[in-house]
Amino acid sequence: MNNLLIIPILIPLFTGIILIIFSSNIRLQRTISGISSIVTIIFTAALAFQVYNDGIQTMNVSNWEAPFGITLVSDMLSSLLVLTTSIIAAACLFYSFWSIGEDREKFYYYPIFQFLIVGVNGAFTTGDIFNLFVFFEVMLMSSYVLLVLGGTKIQLRETIKYILVNVISSALFVITVAFLYSVVGTLNMAHISARIAESGNSGILTVIAVLFLIVFGLKGAIFPLYFWLPGSYYAPPAPVMALFGALLTKVGVYSITRTYTLFFYHDAGFAIELLQILAIFTIIAGAIGAIAFHDVKKIIIYNIIIAVGVILFGVSIMNSESVTGSIFYLIHDMIIKAALFLLVGIIVKLAGTADLRKMGGFIHTYPGLGWTFFIASLALAGIPPLSGFIGKLLIVRSGFEDESFWGAGIVLMSSLVVLFSIMKIFIGAFWGKARVPKNTGKVPVTSLLAAPALLTALAVLYGLGTEAIYPVISLAAETLKNPDIYINAVLKE
Amino acid sequence: MSLLHLAIVSPLILAAFIPALYKKFANIHTGWFLLPLPIMLFSYFLQFIFQTSQGDTITRTLDWIPSLGIDFTVKIDGLGLLFALLITGIGSLVVLYSIYYLSKEKEKLHLFYVYLLMFMSAMLGVVLSDNMILLYSFWELTSFSSFLLIGYWNHRERSRYGAQKSMLITVFGGLAMLGGILLLYLMTGTFSISKTIKMAGELSGQPLFVPAMLCFLLGAFTKSAQFPFHIWLPDAMEAPTPVSAYLHSATMVKAGIYLVARLTPVFAQSSLWLWIIAITGLVTLFWGSFSAVRQTDLKGILAFSTVSQLGMIMSLLGVGAAAFHFSGKSAVPYTVATTAALFHLVNHATFKGSLFMAVGIIDHETGTRDIRKLGGLMTMMPITFTISLIGTLSMAGLPPFNGFLSKEMFFTSMLKVKEAGILSLDTWGLLFPVIAWTGSVFTFVYCMIILFQTFSGGFQQEELDKKPHEAPLGMLIPPVILASLVVIFGLFPNILSDSLIAPAMGAVLQNILGNGESFKVEISHWHGFKPELFMTVGVIAVGFFLYKTSDKWIGFYRLFPEKWSFNRGYDRTLELSQLGSRRFTSLYMNGFIRTYLVYIFSFFIFILGLAMVYEQAFKINTDDLAAVRFYEIMLVAIIAAASISILFAKSRLTSIILLGAVGYTVALFFVIFRAPDLALTQLVIETVSVSLFLLCFYHLPKLRKSEGRIGFKLVNLLIAIGVGTIVTVISLSAHSSKKFGSIANYYIENTYKKAGGENMVNVILVDFRGFDTLFEICVLAIAALGIFGMIKLRLAKGKNE
Repeated sequence: MNNLLIIPILIPLFTGIILIIFSSNIRLQRTISGISSIVTIIFTAALAFQVYNDGIQTMNVSNWEAPFGITLVSDMLSSLLVLTTSIIAAACLFYSFWSIGEDREKFYYYPIFQFLIVGVNGAFTTGDIFNLFVFFEVMLMSSYVLLVLGGTKIQLRETIKYILVNVISSALFVITVAFLYSVVGTLNMAHISARIAESGNSGILTVIAVLFLIVFGLKGAIFPLYFWLPGSYYAPPAPVMALFGALLTKVGVYSITRTYTLFFYHDAGFAIELLQILAIFTIIAGAIGAIAFHDVKKIIIYNIIIAVGVILFGVSIMNSESVTGSIFYLIHDMIIKAALFLLVGIIVKLAGTADLRKMGGFIHTYPGLGWTFFIASLALAGIPPLSGFIGKLLIVRSGFEDESFWGAGIVLMSSLVVLFSIMKIFIGAFWGKARVPKNTGKVPVTSLLAAPALLTALAVLYGLGTEAIYPVISLAAETLKNPDIYINAVLKE
Repeated sequence: MSLLHLAIVSPLILAAFIPALYKKFANIHTGWFLLPLPIMLFSYFLQFIFQTSQGDTITRTLDWIPSLGIDFTVKIDGLGLLFALLITGIGSLVVLYSIYYLSKEKEKLHLFYVYLLMFMSAMLGVVLSDNMILLYSFWELTSFSSFLLIGYWNHRERSRYGAQKSMLITVFGGLAMLGGILLLYLMTGTFSISKTIKMAGELSGQPLFVPAMLCFLLGAFTKSAQFPFHIWLPDAMEAPTPVSAYLHSATMVKAGIYLVARLTPVFAQSSLWLWIIAITGLVTLFWGSFSAVRQTDLKGILAFSTVSQLGMIMSLLGVGAAAFHFSGKSAVPYTVATTAALFHLVNHATFKGSLFMAVGIIDHETGTRDIRKLGGLMTMMPITFTISLIGTLSMAGLPPFNGFLSKEMFFTSMLKVKEAGILSLDTWGLLFPVIAWTGSVFTFVYCMIILFQTFSGGFQQEELDKKPHEAPLGMLIPPVILASLVVIFGLFPNILSDSLIAPAMGAVLQNILGNGESFKVEISHWHGFKPELFMTVGVIAVGFFLYKTSDKWIGFYRLFPEKWSFNRGYDRTLELSQLGSRRFTSLYMNGFIRTYLVYIFSFFIFILGLAMVYEQAFKINTDDLAAVRFYEIMLVAIIAAASISILFAKSRLTSIILLGAVGYTVALFFVIFRAPDLALTQLVIETVSVSLFLLCFYHLPKLRKSEGRIGFKLVNLLIAIGVGTIVTVISLSAHSSKKFGSIANYYIENTYKKAGGENMVNVILVDFRGFDTLFEICVLAIAALGIFGMIKLRLAKGKNE
């Protein structure tokens, strides 16, 4: 039992509740949420540190013993993701101070922001499949609100689509949990894993695995379930877009990873094969989208889809190396996507448009912005020694080792497409005849740049410090590869 | 960190200070701050000659990611040292030259020099790394510094285009090389180049050997602008001329050659290696020289000339690899090719470097590089003329310059291929000298074009913006040094042979020599009346004739329409892939949620159906079921009737009421199955939602009568039936495949005992799983806030939305 686990859920929860009360006092709201986000980082770092040193931490809520109550479980992966989430949340929050606008701030932007973090951290931490559903709901409801808040036409239009898709996927989620419960008679994830291991795989479990893939794939935007994403992520303001792009799809990816490594690893055939094929198609679909547009936001949005494919391809190989690679890549992608969305937010604000063809020459006025974007781009494309490299290296190598040559080759060459698409932004927006962006002076570029610059610096450190991080990530992969560690930690305390 | 590591990263360290220096000392040309560094590095590397010429190597290791076998291991051997000297030597001259070439008033010098230093570090890293991942990292860094340098004048459209093109092609090759590195790793278990070479013998039989080799070759060919990847190099000429001289002729483009040379001991066992490299090299040689003749821009000629010369070096390396297929004495004739490759590498750097600098001077002083506008500059720029004379004659392969020597050796090697008699080269072997000779003829022709069109003939002041005169001294010093080297190496080639070339050969052709042996390299002008000599004479005669008659046949080039060129191919591929992607994406991303749902549900039906069938998961087990009674049948009938009626409802209100009927009937099911809590909940939810819906829908307009065509409805029908069937089938199977008793018994036993409650459902909701409930409440709160915000906050108010 360790109460530290629940802190990253409780801090944003209580912060959110307190912020509702002070909705009219913007300065107070900023102060409180700022402090709270930093305190959350400290606690999540402490948690990750403890998990690294002492192994998996668990907490039985209300002290009902597992598997009968709800158990929260922090293994290395989960605590790392919670830590990353807190950092990204803080970055987006500080960016919001200068960009989100007073109107939204008065209408509960900050409390909803906190509730979203509650949902994400909860989803990463919970060890109960139904409770996961509940945290998905918290996260989704907050995301609906963040998406619609402001009420512009595009927001209303896209929110409806987003809500519809997600309501359907939530319904499927409940059904899927019910099916699983019917077969194994339990909801605690460790217990489910133990029971499946005991009974061995069977046809119906594979079908349920596919159902989970659909449910989480809808959230994680895999092929062919991602159609809702480009439109919906396009609508909200930059910090919200960054939160969505960096966190929401990753919760889906995390859930697929968790369920497939904990429940369905016995299945050697259908479901995992399917996961691999879909992962490859996801990369291709994302790549096609990424090169199709001259719209800076769309380019980055389609890059989310490519990354989801790359991570899941690694998961589908299912050996320690590939899983290590996927985790490396997952965390990298969260950080760098957040940075890029925030940067693109500044670019769009400056230019007054997202159309690349109407920009150019910004580097002469804003060299800092330009170079931050350049480094972030290289990191995204996985150029060594920046953050994306090691993950991709491990994924490709294990793919070759597994003789999935096509898949690994596509992962490798996806870097080229990523680079092409992102450098199109760099060349289009920053190079060219020196011209002063339309909204120069109206946008507090230096203040806005702080958060994405810090995230980019983090990505650089993440790449350079691979050796230091490696044991942590490989511990996370080790736990995923050996479900017994997880089961023992939860059930035999 | 050793001194050697420091030497490699020192340019990067200096780069960090350049912007500050640029700002602080605005009236001193930033280049002066750089100049000492490459000179120091050059002298530092020079001292290693004593060790490498003894056959020694120096290795220094620094941990980077030891967990993955990735180390910062650097190694100096003959080959690496040769390149390192080239990089720092030419680097020093280029920096000096750039000080006079780039004006400190107009240019953003800090950026230029930061990029240049980045490149210098990267290139040193490439040639000195003994770890493949490290090599790859530096390799990509050279690509990006080249990208930034080509895009240095990025206000020009061509410059942006060239930068992007070079980046795409070289990074593509880099990624392929990374693939090769990883494949090789799977066979060897190491990223160390030295260790891989030691294992070379065991590799050639493995299935991944050939794919790995091809991947590496892709990397090498793209970087070294080999046919058909050469198309990026001419466009790279948009970079300032010092950059062209440095990156795009003397150093970076030779990284591919370095890679091939470095890996020859690993891959040369395979005759495929020899074939691919030799043939690609020759084709490149021919195509480059052939295309150079048609250019009118001096830098364009030099770019294609570089392509052609790189092809020549490449083909020599390929033929040199044949030595691995012989043992002892019989291997020696082929080693000549390797000698020639390495010798020509140095020679090319000297004469091409001097030519680029001369062209830079011409451009700088006359304002144009177009040979149609130039002419008669001999008297106005005598020194530049002399430099160009030496450079072009050497490139054309005339004695007594160094180019003559390496060209002779080139011919010798190509003739040897014919005599080889193995590797089934004999029949095709004749093609090698023929292509080589033809390429050399064109080389001769464009050398003459450069020389005569620029310096002789009539001077056309009216075509020029300014009055040309000789360049300042500082700008002349570097090319003069290079041109003197051309002469010195030409007259005394053996200064290089034992100090640099033999040790480098030792690295390329290791494993061939026994212990303690070393290569003896003897380069001489006169070999007697041998075929090589006649070939050279032929080149001069035919070349001169072709140059003189060029007006007659230059029209021949029009037979190759622009439309079919590789450039056009690249442009079209890029355009079409973007356009195609856009078309394709907008085809399925039509913005209608209905369409997306059709995709999603179709996939749902298809994949789950497939899973059910493939896994034979369908099962029905009726053991555990209660008997079906009259009530249930009645209720089911009501539900069915109500559901079907919804389809035919004409107004929203009717639909809602019918939906309510379905809901209430479900509630009755709960009543029959003795679940009063659930029944109550369901009733409350139904009542609230139906009344809310009624309230809202009352204000909405009437349903449109016919929504869509029959096809539209048919799809809806199929999907509805499909999803319903799949969910039902899975439900039945899930119910029938129970494997364990549920945990529910625990709650039955403990609700009263441990939780102190009597109503189990309540206790589960508020105690056992109270955590769920807490956050469900939270969801409601968020929804409430959201609805409030949505209704009250309209940012776009009054903007006609």
